[in-house]
Amino acid sequence: MLTEAGFVDVKIGPAVDTFGGASGESNARAFEVYGYPFIAKKP
Amino acid sequence: MTKNSSLDINELREQVKDKYKEVATTPDGEFHFHTGRVVAARCGYKEEEYDSLPDNAVESFAGVANPFALRDVQTGETVVDLGSGAGFDCFVAAKKVGPEGRVIGIDMTDEMLDKAQATANEMEMDQVEFKKGFIEELPFKDSEVDVVISNGVINLSPEKHKTFEEIYRVLKPGGYLQFADIANSKPAPQAAVDDIDLWTA
Repeated sequence: MLTEAGFVDVKIGPAVDTFGGASGESNARAFEVYGYPFIAKKP
Repeated sequence: MTKNSSLDINELREQVKDKYKEVATTPDGEFHFHTGRVVAARCGYKEEEYDSLPDNAVESFAGVANPFALRDVQTGETVVDLGSGAGFDCFVAAKKVGPEGRVIGIDMTDEMLDKAQATANEMEMDQVEFKKGFIEELPFKDSEVDVVISNGVINLSPEKHKTFEEIYRVLKPGGYLQFADIANSKPAPQAAVDDIDLWTA
């Protein structure tokens, strides 16, 4: 989606176990959901 | 979201507003995600970044990672935060851009906007302001801002293509989108995608 919008140099950082220990942890584990930092540049 | 999705966009917006109204007014309540200093530490923010902020600025924070992890914003930049909530990332950004920079938070939830603006006033951060709006329709001119940040919000938009196109429009050439959000390694079935309760539960 980012490149389709025109962005370049798209990078993704390391995963964060955002939901670990929270009540939403079971849903997060079921679909392997983690938080990530993203960066993209407008040329 | 697929083209065949039956999701009602307006209903989703109302449910998201209701959920984040709760996070604004009762940040110690029961949510499916962590809030406050706990999640700020989990996301990898430096301790001095959140310890230096008052409780009102941190307690309703519900981010999912650190939008400054891959690039720090710079002194003097104009930064827009999509779905700014109670302002945590705006206040972190404001310290980085300094008084010559500008930070504008956009949110659709009145309770979050009120809380964020009150905290900005309390901290005397004149470079920070908050505006009501939707992330799919940003109140900025073309090529007006240096950096767009967001944290755990774009995943809640049922119109992600439109959101990214709008971000692209408002960024200056050479500007950055740096955001944090959730992603799943295992695909969610269409029934789950169409279940509004799972977007906000």
